[in-house]
Amino acid sequence: MSTVTAFDVYVDRINRGEPLSADEIRELAVTPDILSLGMLADTVRRRLHETRATFLRVADVAFDNQAMLGQSPAAREIRLTGSPSTLAAAVAAVEAARAVAGDRKVAGFSWDDIARWSAGASTGQVLARLRQAGLDAIVDLPLDVIDDPRYAVESLKDAGFLQLRLTISKAPADARTPLLIRAAQLQDSAGAIHALNPLPLSLSTFRPTTGYEDVKMVALARLAAPNVPSIQVDWQRYGPKLAQVALTFGADDIDGVSASDEAPEGRRRAPRAEIERNIEAAGLLPVERDGWFNLLQS
Amino acid sequence: MIDSIVAKVRDGGRVSAEEALALYHHAPTHVLGRLADGIRLRKHPEQVVTYIIDRNVNYTNICVARCNFCAFYRPVGSGEGYVLGFEEIFHKIDETIAVGGNQLLLQGGHNPDLPIQWYEDLFRGVKARYPDFKLHALSPPEVLHISRLNQLSTTQVIERLVAAGLDSIPGGGAEILVDRVRKLLNCYSKATSDEWIGIMRQAHLAGLRTTATMMYGTVETDEERIEHMMRLRDLQDETGGFTAFITWSYQPEHTEHGGFEETGVDYLRTLALSRIVLDNFDNLQASWVTQGGKVGQLSLAYGANDMGSVMIEENVVRAAGAAYCMDELEIVVNIEDAGFLPKRRNMHYEILGDPIFREREVPRMLALATARADGDTSVPDELKNYEARSRHGRQLRLGQ
Ligand code: SF4
Repeated sequence: MSTVTAFDVYVDRINRGEPLSADEIRELAVTPDILSLGMLADTVRRRLHETRATFLRVADVAFDNQAMLGQSPAAREIRLTGSPSTLAAAVAAVEAARAVAGDRKVAGFSWDDIARWSAGASTGQVLARLRQAGLDAIVDLPLDVIDDPRYAVESLKDAGFLQLRLTISKAPADARTPLLIRAAQLQDSAGAIHALNPLPLSLSTFRPTTGYEDVKMVALARLAAPNVPSIQVDWQRYGPKLAQVALTFGADDIDGVSASDEAPEGRRRAPRAEIERNIEAAGLLPVERDGWFNLLQS
Repeated sequence: MIDSIVAKVRDGGRVSAEEALALYHHAPTHVLGRLADGIRLRKHPEQVVTYIIDRNVNYTNICVARCNFCAFYRPVGSGEGYVLGFEEIFHKIDETIAVGGNQLLLQGGHNPDLPIQWYEDLFRGVKARYPDFKLHALSPPEVLHISRLNQLSTTQVIERLVAAGLDSIPGGGAEILVDRVRKLLNCYSKATSDEWIGIMRQAHLAGLRTTATMMYGTVETDEERIEHMMRLRDLQDETGGFTAFITWSYQPEHTEHGGFEETGVDYLRTLALSRIVLDNFDNLQASWVTQGGKVGQLSLAYGANDMGSVMIEENVVRAAGAAYCMDELEIVVNIEDAGFLPKRRNMHYEILGDPIFREREVPRMLALATARADGDTSVPDELKNYEARSRHGRQLRLGQ
């Protein structure tokens, strides 16, 4: 069967809502034909989200810099950055954020932090304590770092954390395909996963990812995990150009848009206007969302 | 309508301006990309992606043209104006040869104080010292400026410069080859569309190969973008003298025109469309200098078969806000990662060999050089040998 025919068959199956098998995803992962891969992923994306692309404005605030908490009223999520050394410090940071957040989401920390704070206590107790303080989401649940992702997902669900977001920390491209397949399996068995962010959160200056690698990974994530509603790309980490192109390769959500409505310098547009322009230029309809994936009317 | 145009392009047919516009407006980005990629594959079935090691030297930033999209030029008399000395240029050539380079891309402002003899002496000096080194120099508006300044025809200018060592002409200064646009960008007087095309025709007839460019994203309509491509396609049908086409998005920072840069998807669509329209051009370059390494690499899926220049130096685009840098190693990694075979080339797109860093050790370049170090206001000694036209230039000469 020629490649083109195989792709046509895949398109038909995707249009019928049939997921591709793990073997088929592994096969697609080695194709150099990124445009066909992008077309397949875009077919899934459009079936799930039609022409809509969402974005989230986030206020990144260092957990120990409470003075900055009130700075970005336009943000729909307050994201605590950094890694407190103790659970008590984390709880204090969450409580301070919760006090100003109103109906906005408060997120922060990584699974590594949870594991560290759980020494001598149960993970469930740590998560319950953070939840009680007002934490709505753990930001980093890296599939390439967590020893037992299923346990992590179940623990989070039990503690009342919903709409989980799975991430990748720094796994190289060839190690990521099995992780994407794993994400889909986790969703099948445990549920509660709302978003998958397939591009590494730690960027290596020594060996940066390439454009091909990035869009291929986005497309594979969309194809591997059609049961996960959103495939995300980070606006600030990956930059407007790549994030925008990723929207044509299966991504439907742009995370990490700056909440400042000031133009950062000179004649540049404010982040919101800039992202809306980029989404429209990709042929899609920009819709702002809140931290819980509710669509906001502009 | 779109389906029939798509089928026509797939079958190797040529699109009209109307069909090109319909594709641009209605074809999804992947469809445009696949059409462009199919043409690239037909023209380059061996899956080679080329690049050149050269240096983009801007010999002067003093310019009387004052295009309103340009952040690079300085007016006559500006304290930030410069002219490079011959020795400075020779030094840049030495550095270029050290990293495996074989050519200077030499362009500059329309400086009224540099008569044709300055260019001739420079070119002869380069050729005397570096007989095999190539000079890809002076875009059509610069040729026109030299002809006006020296009261020579453009044919005479080209003849004299070729006799002095000019090897080929870069396609700069084309912007959009539609006079309505050129008037709005204040670049009509530096060269009208007909003048730009006319000089390229003369160069081709004189046996020179040239490139063609398009800077989009200012005030032009989509129709005008396509008109630009059509003018290039017509001249290529007539002379076959263009080796390659390079398009890039207008870079707005620090310019008088201002505004915003077009997006990455716009770039990929424009690139793909140009591959479809310019069916008589063999080579399309990726503009990673304006788009960054990632979209630059993705260009290879949207019709580009060449990564352009391993730039050692760049001044013009950087002045307007873009400051991407890739050395040979990075360019090669990007080409191979995209599934292509990297090969070094010359300006004529003849293959010179495999990556130079695999043949011998070359220093890594992690930042682009500039024409001059900040604050260097020195005036080259040899300038006193050349007659200046501007009052400021004449005063400078007197002070030398
Ligand atoms: S683009 Fe060239 S001709 Fe126009 S102002 Fe700048 S340096 Fe001068």
